[in-house]
Amino acid sequence: MNRTLLGFIKKELIQALRDPRMKFILFVTPIVQMTLFGVAISNEVKNIRLAAVFDSKDYVLRDVYERAIQGGWFVPAQATGATAADPFGLIRADKADAVLVPPPGGFTRALGRGDARLQLLVDATNVLQAQSVEGYIRQIVQETLRTDLGIAPPQPPILFDVRVLFNPSLDTSIFMVPGVMTMLMILTTLVLTCIAIVREKELGTFEMMISAPVSKSEVIFGKTLPYVLIGMTNLPLILGVAVFVFHVPMRGSFLALIGATLAFVCSTVAMGTLISTFCKNQQQSSMGTFLFMFPAIMFSGLMFPVENMPRSLRWMAALDPMAHYLSLLRNIMLKAGDLRALAPHIAILIALAVVSGIVSFRRFHTTLQ
Amino acid sequence: MNFVWRRAAAIARKEWFHIRRDPFTLALALVLPPVMVVVYGLVIDFNIKDVRLSVSDGDRSQTSRRLIETFGSSDYFRIQPVASPGAAVQDVTAERAKAALVIPPRFEKDLLAGRGAQAQVLIDGADNSTVGPVSDYVAAIQTLASERIAGGIGSSAGAGRTDFLTAGAGADLTPPYELRTRYLFNPELNSRWFVIPGLTVVIMAILSIFLTALTVAREWENGSMEMLLSTPVEPVEIIVGKAAPYAALGAVSVGFVYVIARAAFGVPFQGHLWVFGLGCILFLFTYLAQGLLISVVTRQQTIAMQFSMLTGMLPSNMLSGFVFPIASMPTFFWYFTMLFPARWFMVIARNSFLVGSSLAQLAGPFAALGVSCAVMTTLAVRRFKRTLE
Repeated sequence: MNRTLLGFIKKELIQALRDPRMKFILFVTPIVQMTLFGVAISNEVKNIRLAAVFDSKDYVLRDVYERAIQGGWFVPAQATGATAADPFGLIRADKADAVLVPPPGGFTRALGRGDARLQLLVDATNVLQAQSVEGYIRQIVQETLRTDLGIAPPQPPILFDVRVLFNPSLDTSIFMVPGVMTMLMILTTLVLTCIAIVREKELGTFEMMISAPVSKSEVIFGKTLPYVLIGMTNLPLILGVAVFVFHVPMRGSFLALIGATLAFVCSTVAMGTLISTFCKNQQQSSMGTFLFMFPAIMFSGLMFPVENMPRSLRWMAALDPMAHYLSLLRNIMLKAGDLRALAPHIAILIALAVVSGIVSFRRFHTTLQ
Repeated sequence: MNFVWRRAAAIARKEWFHIRRDPFTLALALVLPPVMVVVYGLVIDFNIKDVRLSVSDGDRSQTSRRLIETFGSSDYFRIQPVASPGAAVQDVTAERAKAALVIPPRFEKDLLAGRGAQAQVLIDGADNSTVGPVSDYVAAIQTLASERIAGGIGSSAGAGRTDFLTAGAGADLTPPYELRTRYLFNPELNSRWFVIPGLTVVIMAILSIFLTALTVAREWENGSMEMLLSTPVEPVEIIVGKAAPYAALGAVSVGFVYVIARAAFGVPFQGHLWVFGLGCILFLFTYLAQGLLISVVTRQQTIAMQFSMLTGMLPSNMLSGFVFPIASMPTFFWYFTMLFPARWFMVIARNSFLVGSSLAQLAGPFAALGVSCAVMTTLAVRRFKRTLE
């Protein structure tokens, strides 16, 4: 590596880290966020406010209700029992998420008559929650009938032994942590690179650099390599939180993880550089990175399943570096990294880095003239 | 302190010129939200289809074939036959399949002997967004397959396979009660009805923070702030004047989003437009004020940008109840998320589209939104004053 480039990198690092607030943002907030989001977010549905309409004689329904509350998925709604006279009103007024309504005369008597129709009203404004509620309730009613009345549902002739591989106890943080890691990694690298370059343009210091005896590649590498470095130093920080705080397993090889991260960071830094070539001032660059980041998060597979995107839009997910890095993290950390599965993702990340690198190299040339 | 509308209007006009001179920002603010709603409206669907299922059939009997057929004909799964159970697991590990079905060699014999035939289903637990739906589908298919196979064997009773039926294992699968679920407000569990109102909130939040976070910081960096300060204009007037044009932009783009949601995706709107509109205005001003606060505090665009990412983009995506349910979070977060106006507007937006409560019923979220709006604006003005001294 030549001396000019080294000097350049040094200058950029000093400039980026000069502000203590920036140091805080770069090295402390990822740890804090990792912890916060790792604890908070999950796809699991819990604490559903359940109400049930039952009188004192309807002991089966009362048992169903109590079992539901004890089970942990449900919490009692403010109004329940006989007071829940208006089940629709309860849901409409947002006092309950689900209400169990027995047939006239009560569920217990209806069971005796043999035409027990239990109605479950679910607030479906939250589709995800609504989907889970029915399954939960069905299971709870079945268990209650078995213990209260000795009615065992007939054993279905075909049984499935369902196992969730790699996370058998359905630990939420194991599900979510790789996604959060991906998001934090892209936040620092892409945004920072883009704005650092645009700032020089806006302040006019870029002109000065052109007049200095440095080549174009030295300018570009000098401007971008420091952010690759900064991105890489984030890895041990957030990996530490993942492994030591959340006990996410690290089953694969550490070397593969470093390689994957390097490919990812290079691709995001290159894409940040590419975005910067389209922006004249920092406000534009902030909008530009937002324009990139928002779809990148959406298509990453963290929030929504990317499985069944329309074919015409699937290329968007294929070009999303976050989606590939998330797959890589899941693969390396949870599945112990089959190299053949890793290779395509790493290849795409490298391709993204190279292509956006070349394009921004070209565009750099023209914008400076 | 005296607030003069004329001075605030002058600042607003000046800011408006800034925006007009920069067609890029203008286009982003107006075009981006509708485009995003269209794209995500098309793309986002929680009901996944064509899950790749690697199937290892160790039995190769009529029953096992019928079981596989049940999976294949369900629309949810796409069958990929493999040679051995090991290969099936390998497929899941290497991302060639999301789930695997392993049928043991004695499957049909066990079934006919009335012991209950057991097949193994392995689900890729590394992917948080698919585990839930896939296990639901598997449970549904278990019932379906049981009925079909029991029925199929019943119809071929002449072939001497009645022993399994008379053993009572699958004769009557209907439980002694019937659970009827009614999904209120979104009877077909349409993902789009759920996602699009939420998306409106997230996009507005991010856009308004980003639009304003750099405005004041830019003036500090360019040195034009000094000039502005030497004029008789008051801090409140600067804040209001700076926020107003962006609020107008935001309001127009909410309008676009509303039209698209209704016209292109058929999302119902049960509430009152003015309630939703009031919520929008409060929400926009809160986030614009937050953006300005960031700008005033940081005085530097690079840092302002990082701060808006941290306090605007991430919480409104992750902690607003957009996808990840707040009720499932630990108690601390139940209170912590109250700090984010996005959480409250999420309630108002979803309610306005799907439920349609009155303003009185939504008093809680509105009060919270009003408080955060007041707090943010006051903070922005206060901090602004202090930086002057």
